[in-house]
Amino acid sequence: MLEINNLHARVGETDILKGLDLTVNAGEVHAVMGPNGSGKSTLSKILAGSEDYTVTEGRVRLLGQDLLDMSPEQRAAAGVFLGFQYPVEIPGVSNMVFLKSALNAQRKTRGEPELEAGDFLAWVRHRVKQMKMDPAMLSRGVNEGFSGGEKKRNEILQMLVLEPRLMVLDETDSGLDIDALKIVAEGINALRSPERATLLVTHYQRLLDYVQPDKVHVLSGGRIIKSGGPELAHELEEKGYGWLSEQRAA
Amino acid sequence: MLNRDAYESAFARFSETLPAATIAPRRAALQRFLDTGLPGKGLEAWKYTDLSPLGAEAVAAPSVRGRPETPLPQFPGMHTRCWVNGRAPDVDAQAGPVETPSGEHAHDGLANLNAAFALPGIDLLLDDGASLDAPLHALFVTEPQGDGEMVHLRHRIVLGEGASATVVVHELGRGDAPRWSTHLLDIELARGARLRLVRLQDESAGTRGWFEARAAVHGDASLDMTQVDLGGGIVRNDWRPRLLGPGADVVLRGLMAPVGRTHVDSQFLTEHAAAHGRSRQWFRGLAWDRAQGIFNGKVVVRPGAQKTDSEQRIANLLLSPRARINAKPELEIYADDVKCAHGATFGRLDPAALFYLRSRGVDEATARALLIHGFAEAVLQHLEPAELRKAVVARLLERIGNEIDPEVLA
Ligand SMILES: Nc1ncnc2c1ncn2[C@@H]1O[C@H](COP(=O)(O)OP(=O)(O)OP(=O)(O)O)[C@@H](O)[C@H]1O
Ligand SMILES: [Mg+2]
Repeated sequence: MLEINNLHARVGETDILKGLDLTVNAGEVHAVMGPNGSGKSTLSKILAGSEDYTVTEGRVRLLGQDLLDMSPEQRAAAGVFLGFQYPVEIPGVSNMVFLKSALNAQRKTRGEPELEAGDFLAWVRHRVKQMKMDPAMLSRGVNEGFSGGEKKRNEILQMLVLEPRLMVLDETDSGLDIDALKIVAEGINALRSPERATLLVTHYQRLLDYVQPDKVHVLSGGRIIKSGGPELAHELEEKGYGWLSEQRAA
Repeated sequence: MLNRDAYESAFARFSETLPAATIAPRRAALQRFLDTGLPGKGLEAWKYTDLSPLGAEAVAAPSVRGRPETPLPQFPGMHTRCWVNGRAPDVDAQAGPVETPSGEHAHDGLANLNAAFALPGIDLLLDDGASLDAPLHALFVTEPQGDGEMVHLRHRIVLGEGASATVVVHELGRGDAPRWSTHLLDIELARGARLRLVRLQDESAGTRGWFEARAAVHGDASLDMTQVDLGGGIVRNDWRPRLLGPGADVVLRGLMAPVGRTHVDSQFLTEHAAAHGRSRQWFRGLAWDRAQGIFNGKVVVRPGAQKTDSEQRIANLLLSPRARINAKPELEIYADDVKCAHGATFGRLDPAALFYLRSRGVDEATARALLIHGFAEAVLQHLEPAELRKAVVARLLERIGNEIDPEVLA
């Protein structure tokens, strides 16, 4: 479903991704772990189409389509969703207007009819309830004044409303309290299906207890330096990342 | 150089329609105007707006128009009164004497020009405890017939103790001809009176306009004002409220959204002359193309105005590289026990917010429009009733390029 080959990317003069390879098949959940500054958010944002980075080499394909040729909005319509590590506050644009604009824009691009106002409202309310959020949040500005945890929960709400094909969740578990983590995990699991794939960027094992990954990768120095099964996450939790670079150096 | 002949002959034509007794004071005002001329760069308060070169142009007295040619906006639940080219159909325009403006004005030359030519505008007098049964929508439509046509109006809103009113001053200009417009508004709010005032400036691109409102706000009275500048060519606004008794409350909000080569210069001077007053100045500026905006918000706290609580916030968004906004919050404090905060910000559309919207599927043009509307929303949300807000939002969206269906925002 998602195929990344030999991806090189830089910001200004600094190379950040240095030949990254990663394949995620439909129906799978992959976890990406790695030290701070190793390029996890860079990878996530490049997938979503951020213009802050220049891809200098390599290829990214989603369902056979070349992602790198597409604008962020085209990618969204094609099914890419990025749960931001730092969701942006947009005062003056309500969550409701935001969700309505986003969903209808995606549907239009895909040639689907826009939702009737009533149907849309019912759909959003259903998802808000699922995320155990206060419906009053819908009339507030996007993430405006939201706590760190509320912002993360709002990312998952957006994901549930939009129902993407590829979910890239960049540290969505950071900053969540124990109950919120469960709700977020349930949200992610609700969308798990044979037609979808998930990339979970995380620092902690805990989220992976709730959302069982099929594979775990270690991103370090702009490359995937190790891949394994769920047990790799436990190993990292115990030993940290030091042993991996030593192993590579050896 | 001021084209004295043009003003003289415009006045001669205009005075043919005046009762004989009212001509002399008007002529005296015209003489004072001719002595002073149009304000310009020599004056500190007008350093951004130089009207003096325009004095050489032709001017004409307002033409008399029956009815406007195009349909007029109306808002449900409001009582609309319409002035066409300065004249209200139901008022004998020349009947009432127009007094020479007294007191200190932002500019004497223009105040005298207004006094010479003024037609009666809003004249709202409410007794103690009275209130308007419906908000007043005072609509000033101008459809000029020739170059340099002048429409000068004088307004008065006087509320007795505990009286309350909502008034929308709506200027709507049509046609391309260069023209002049001045409005002088005097507000007096007795103890405990409440006035909600909205001003929508949607003049034609050929309009050179001056709007001055002075307000005397007595104890426990409140003035809640929202101004939206959508149109005009060269626009100057002066708001000068004075808080004269304890508990007086004055909120001034402003949104300007000039496009093309429009120049909007808004000056706000809030004066705390009594203790325990509260005032707010909340302004937002958006500028496109080669438009220029000026916000000058000043708060003066007089000696003895202790426990004053004032706040000024100005935020600006520049939407093209050649658009310019000058914004300056100023404080002048002569009392020691006061709480005064102020700040100004300037920015462009936040690239992170744009990316966030686009990453959810919203195309770039719509994302920009949503952010611009969102920025303006801080002021627009105070427009009531909803139909009025919708009408203003629709005008703003038109300006942004109709990227958003207004229903999406509903
Ligand atoms: N706009 C930028 N300008 C300069 N350096 C940048 C920029 N964006 C990212 N970097 C650098 O690229 C590297 C990778 O950053 P990235 O955010 O992808 O790391 P990360 O793996 O997500 O880290 P964390 O675990 O802390 O979230 C870091 O060294 C970072 O400082
Ligand atoms: Mg990161």
